[in-house]
Amino acid sequence: MKRSGSLRSYVITRVLLAFPMLLILLTVVFLLMRVAPGDPITAALGGRVSAEELARRRHDAGYDRPLPIQYLEYLRGVATLNLGTTILDNRPMTQVIAQNGAATLELSFFAMIVAMVSGVGIGLIAGRYRDTAADLGGRLFGIVLYAAPVFFLGFLAQLTFGKWLDWLPTSGQTSPIVGATLATHTNLLVIDTIIDRNWTAFQDVVRHLIMPSVVLGLVIGGVFIRLVRVNLLQTMKGDYVEAARARGVKEGRVVYKHAFKNALVPVITIMGLEFAVLLSGAVLTEETFNWPGIGSELVRYLDNRDYIAVQGIIVVTGIVVVIVSLAIDILNAWVDPRIRY
Amino acid sequence: MSRTFRVCAALAVLAVVVTSCKSNSSSAGGSTGPDTSATIVHGTTDSIVSLDPAGQYDLGSQQISAQIYDNLLVIPPGGNKPELSAAQACSYDNPTTYTCTLKPGLKFSDGSALTSADVAFSLKRNLEINDPNGACSLLNAINKPGADGCKWNPASISTPDDATVTFHLNAPDATWPFILTTTAAYIVPSDVFPETKEQPDDKVIGSGHYILEKYTPGQQVVLKPNPTWWGDPPANAGVIVQYFDKSSALKLALEQGDVDVGWRTFTPTDVEAMRGESSLQVLTGPGSEIRYLVFNESFPQGKELAVRKAVAMTVDRQAIVHDVYNDTVAPLWSMVPSALSGHVDAFKDLYGDAPDIAAATQTLKDAGITTPVPLEIWWTPTHYGDSSADEYAEIKRSLEASGLFTVSLKSTEWDAYITAALTDQYPQYELGWFPDYPDSDNYVYTFYSKSSFLNDHYSNPQIEKLLADERASTDQSQRDKDFEQIQKIGAQDVPVVPIWEGKQLAVARQGVTGVQQTLDVAYIFRYWLVGKSS
Repeated sequence: MKRSGSLRSYVITRVLLAFPMLLILLTVVFLLMRVAPGDPITAALGGRVSAEELARRRHDAGYDRPLPIQYLEYLRGVATLNLGTTILDNRPMTQVIAQNGAATLELSFFAMIVAMVSGVGIGLIAGRYRDTAADLGGRLFGIVLYAAPVFFLGFLAQLTFGKWLDWLPTSGQTSPIVGATLATHTNLLVIDTIIDRNWTAFQDVVRHLIMPSVVLGLVIGGVFIRLVRVNLLQTMKGDYVEAARARGVKEGRVVYKHAFKNALVPVITIMGLEFAVLLSGAVLTEETFNWPGIGSELVRYLDNRDYIAVQGIIVVTGIVVVIVSLAIDILNAWVDPRIRY
Repeated sequence: MSRTFRVCAALAVLAVVVTSCKSNSSSAGGSTGPDTSATIVHGTTDSIVSLDPAGQYDLGSQQISAQIYDNLLVIPPGGNKPELSAAQACSYDNPTTYTCTLKPGLKFSDGSALTSADVAFSLKRNLEINDPNGACSLLNAINKPGADGCKWNPASISTPDDATVTFHLNAPDATWPFILTTTAAYIVPSDVFPETKEQPDDKVIGSGHYILEKYTPGQQVVLKPNPTWWGDPPANAGVIVQYFDKSSALKLALEQGDVDVGWRTFTPTDVEAMRGESSLQVLTGPGSEIRYLVFNESFPQGKELAVRKAVAMTVDRQAIVHDVYNDTVAPLWSMVPSALSGHVDAFKDLYGDAPDIAAATQTLKDAGITTPVPLEIWWTPTHYGDSSADEYAEIKRSLEASGLFTVSLKSTEWDAYITAALTDQYPQYELGWFPDYPDSDNYVYTFYSKSSFLNDHYSNPQIEKLLADERASTDQSQRDKDFEQIQKIGAQDVPVVPIWEGKQLAVARQGVTGVQQTLDVAYIFRYWLVGKSS
């Protein structure tokens, strides 16, 4: 009862704290975009018209209005859940979030599965067979993945599995022909093709998903390998493990039933932190694989100084990270009765 | 364990099935005649700002719009002068009055009739909407006189009947036929497009070769042939335009056969790599993009004619073209590209086609200038591509190798760069130019007029008179003579040093036809010419 109350107050506090955090995030992004040199007009027409003409167009577009006025207008928009329309290509932000956000969600989801399967699996084997070739190989694999930039791994994968072996497509979410005929319901293409029972398109979508999700997943998985291995070794020294062994429980059962489950608790915590890493990794992965996610759109809008789009994407991403980390905290408290907030 | 094994085995089988089911949509090898039932996949690194003509002034938007809309006049494949399209006749009644008659029976893709009222409406709304990202400034000849910015002038266009449209220009303007070929003059239906705001991108219609079937921003455009198009049907059953963030991703997609033709923009390294691929053909044509070095004459070095001349004599264009750009560009010997009417190799004729150190030394000596002359040259790292760094390193090398100059290279990102460059903060700086329309006026007026956007403080009354003459003349041969004269004076005065001109470059899979025909100075990739051999 006490624990339940503690968790509830923690959740309420976290939710309330999220608002000032998002306000700070909003303000910082707003100021950075305005303080940095350039604006959408200069990005689009600089080098084609005179400095006076640029100034006139900036004025017509309202980019030279006082910052506090622009800031208050923007805050009003966010408060009313109106994130505006992109300056670069006149897209409602809701459309950007729905279309490109779904592509990122799809990529991140499958990348997280790859990360968990590879990270936990290899970490478990490395910890179980400590100081063997499997352990050494697993650790080396984890360190290399952890250290390798995602775009570097991406290029290697593209060259190997795309260009040389010709097994997998190297870019995009679908092949052009399939993309041209595909009906979208949820913008999650795996789901959409299943809804339509369009198995040819399903295969195409899955084939396009494999390389980016595996590359991103392996990079994130590198952290899990090291974490699971260390935690497993730690828990294997625990009294309850010793007690299990003393009771004559088989070593395999000791590892998988007793030590492993407890070794996973810190992994859940790290998952929350890694989710933010996953999103930032998705930006680079999307750029590498021409994946039409929110990360690659962020880069495009940043290049064109599209204030509205950049602010909108960062705010939504910030909210998602807050929600996920809150969910992870709640999950942690639920999994581990010892945790108190 | 056996259950785990079964799961692993199932996953392995699924992976094999999925990877082995690779579709093979590419066409390779060639036989005779285009297969008009084939869909063409075009890959590009361009992007779209707007598909409404009132909201676009960029190549990416213009590229798709050129397929959807028609103009009164267009630049024909391989040409550099306007020809009739929606109009069946156009001519100057006098230097300020230009009349066009429409072809009979023209229709928009929704079946409604295209009349002179639609032409007038299209230009009017472009001026009235006055989009900061739009090209209404190109319509200056019919803009309301004295207005601050774009403003519709009701007296500027008259439509005496459904087939006739007359433009009443503010001043004699020989470039008006060229303006009518641009994005500012696409014809839109007056009963579909709003007059004072832009049409949503996915709801645009026109009377061009294609209909917009699907548009996914940032990802894909799908075009199908327009059955109401007045001319020959396209050489394909439709076009899918696939957008890429990077040249390297487009190159891989071409190599894999996911894309039939790639156009704009490849890095010189990617082009070099693709030249060796047997499944690909690298095609080039004349371009109209240029790069140049500007002297701001309000600075001491820029003020010295001898210094400007000596730089023009010393810069090694051949080394830049060959070593930096792998011959994907060509040396530029005038501020007008070589494919345009009226071009002359003014700089080559005056200073030679290789660095002439002796002549440069003599020029500086005659002017009493002490060498080495310190030069501060500014360039920008990303806006003009990754090769800019190497280009300016080569310029520094060639200038310093002469012993006549010491060069300090400075760079900053585009947004800060362009504002500073145009407001007297940089003594020497790089810039590039894409034309609005392929007429020499769009270069000489831009760079040599005293009202040049460059704000380089250069002015020559002789050039001003020649510019006024060429604009007032409707005789192209006389205009060409004026252009030649302007280029020669420009080479003597050297307010700007031409460096290189781009070539149009596309990479297509073997068996793709018609690409070569569309690579010209107009910078429009005419999809209707592109097919696959049957």
